[in-house]
Amino acid sequence: MLPLTIMNGLVMGVIYALAALGVSLVVGIMNVVNFAHGELYILAGYFSFLFADTLGLHPFVAILFSVSLVFLIGVAIEATLIRPTYGNDMYSLILTFILSIVLQNAYLLIFGPYPRKPPQWIAGASNVFGLFFYGNQRLIALVTGMLIIAAVFLLVHRTWFGLIIRAASQDREMAQWNGVNTTRLNMISFGLGCALAGAAGVILSPVFPVTPTSGVPVALTAFVVVVLGGMGSLKGCVVGGLLLGLVENIGAAYVSTGYKNVFGFIILILVLLFRPAGLFGRKEA
Amino acid sequence: MNERNQLAALAVFGLLCAISPVFLDDYKLHIVIVSLFYVMMASSWNLVAGYTGQVSFAHAAFAGIGAYVSGILAVKMGIHPWIGVLCGTAAAGIFGLLLGVLCLKMGGIYLSLTTLGFSEILHIVITNEYEVTRGTMGLQVPGLLEVYSKAGYLWIMLAAAAVVLVVVYRMIHSRIGLNFRAVQNDETAAASLGVDVVHIRVLAFTISSLLAGLAGGLFGHYLLLITPQIPSLDQQFLVLSMTVIGGMGSFLGPVIGSFVLKILSEYIRAYGEYHVLAFGIVALIMARFAPQGIVGAFRKRTSE
Repeated sequence: MLPLTIMNGLVMGVIYALAALGVSLVVGIMNVVNFAHGELYILAGYFSFLFADTLGLHPFVAILFSVSLVFLIGVAIEATLIRPTYGNDMYSLILTFILSIVLQNAYLLIFGPYPRKPPQWIAGASNVFGLFFYGNQRLIALVTGMLIIAAVFLLVHRTWFGLIIRAASQDREMAQWNGVNTTRLNMISFGLGCALAGAAGVILSPVFPVTPTSGVPVALTAFVVVVLGGMGSLKGCVVGGLLLGLVENIGAAYVSTGYKNVFGFIILILVLLFRPAGLFGRKEA
Repeated sequence: MNERNQLAALAVFGLLCAISPVFLDDYKLHIVIVSLFYVMMASSWNLVAGYTGQVSFAHAAFAGIGAYVSGILAVKMGIHPWIGVLCGTAAAGIFGLLLGVLCLKMGGIYLSLTTLGFSEILHIVITNEYEVTRGTMGLQVPGLLEVYSKAGYLWIMLAAAAVVLVVVYRMIHSRIGLNFRAVQNDETAAASLGVDVVHIRVLAFTISSLLAGLAGGLFGHYLLLITPQIPSLDQQFLVLSMTVIGGMGSFLGPVIGSFVLKILSEYIRAYGEYHVLAFGIVALIMARFAPQGIVGAFRKRTSE
């Protein structure tokens, strides 16, 4: 029982880390929390369902299309809604919250309340270390999630664009004086944040089908992970995501399944009480 | 329209509401009563969002706490609803104080994240604790009046809305209110002039939560059935869009927004449950292009 619980915790942890990376990237660079993050996660799930199931495209083509589309939608959201709010953090919070409710209701209108499930990438199950059988789809979700996280770290720490991202999140004005086009940077990084939500969505939706409101718990968990890891810290997202995935699944297995999402909130309260800057956060957050 | 005229208009409108049982039928009275509930909610939310620049997503949750505390006390312990409403109001205030102290020293984003989490958790707890709250079935509670009458409830809600508006008005026109605006305009400057920024924010947030608890408690005993719909995010969204569309940071804005949106939602309902989507799109456009809302647009026209 315990090894299986830990395995489930790891898979969810990687997905949480992926979703939280998107939030943290945007917070670090733009100081904006995207409350519609969960709805973009769901949107990618719906897209991959539409492309793979309704249009009959190959699952991998469908995922690629879905994530790219969510990236473009993120760019569009930044350009139309977020950009005018620079310097007024409160309006960006309100706008993205309204957007999340609008999207939820639009999904309900378009797709109905039924769970939608894109086709699995592979079928069957494998024996893990001789301990238990585990669904291949979940295993491949784990591997894909880890690969994307690795790619994000490479992008941020090894490329020219990553250098710009790190410069802007340390000191925005200084980066601007050194010739960084912060407007374009914001647009691209907001799109990237949304694309990461979308990536989490396409990976997880074949396992957990999407409904109009099923993005809410994922987004909330991502927010908790971001606070736990420290606002704007990418390393914190990975550690925090894995920690939260494990705590939730062990808690659900041994304490109560109905209260699965409450454990994350308890962690949030504890962090705010004892270490408000988070595990890897900057003190002056 | 200057401040005195605004208050006079509000008083006339209140008087009109008070005598409305003479010329409105029961269905229309119900809409007025629900609108008054939203006036309380939106005005008290506006106190935090419009005047101190903090966005709380737990305002509906605090109304839910007011309603459920009062309802459970009445059903399980036979406590009189009026005393229950007071207990519910106090409970909402205490939760508000705790959340405020916990988050507000870290700044606005933390409050928004935590209150969003809090309202989801409250929803989960209410749905799961079926034995106490009756879950999604809803908790049947006794009414505030011995004999049910729409007019009676209308006057109760009107009086309560007046109390909320007076409290909000006194707050924003006191020395504390001056501090509110100082904190919203420039936190660092305010702090350097001796304003205790965290203290001011916690105070505003606690009072606002308390008023939401009062609104929720009264509303629950009017509906006679308390469901998880009261502390839902949809409800929170309606309060938010009423404030944004009416005019955030203005005294009359939330009052206008509440009545306009509630009445409109009744018309939209004839075509199906699209009012949330419709208001969302309108609120999105308003927040983007006319952040001062209806009141701001009106003010701009008269000043030109």
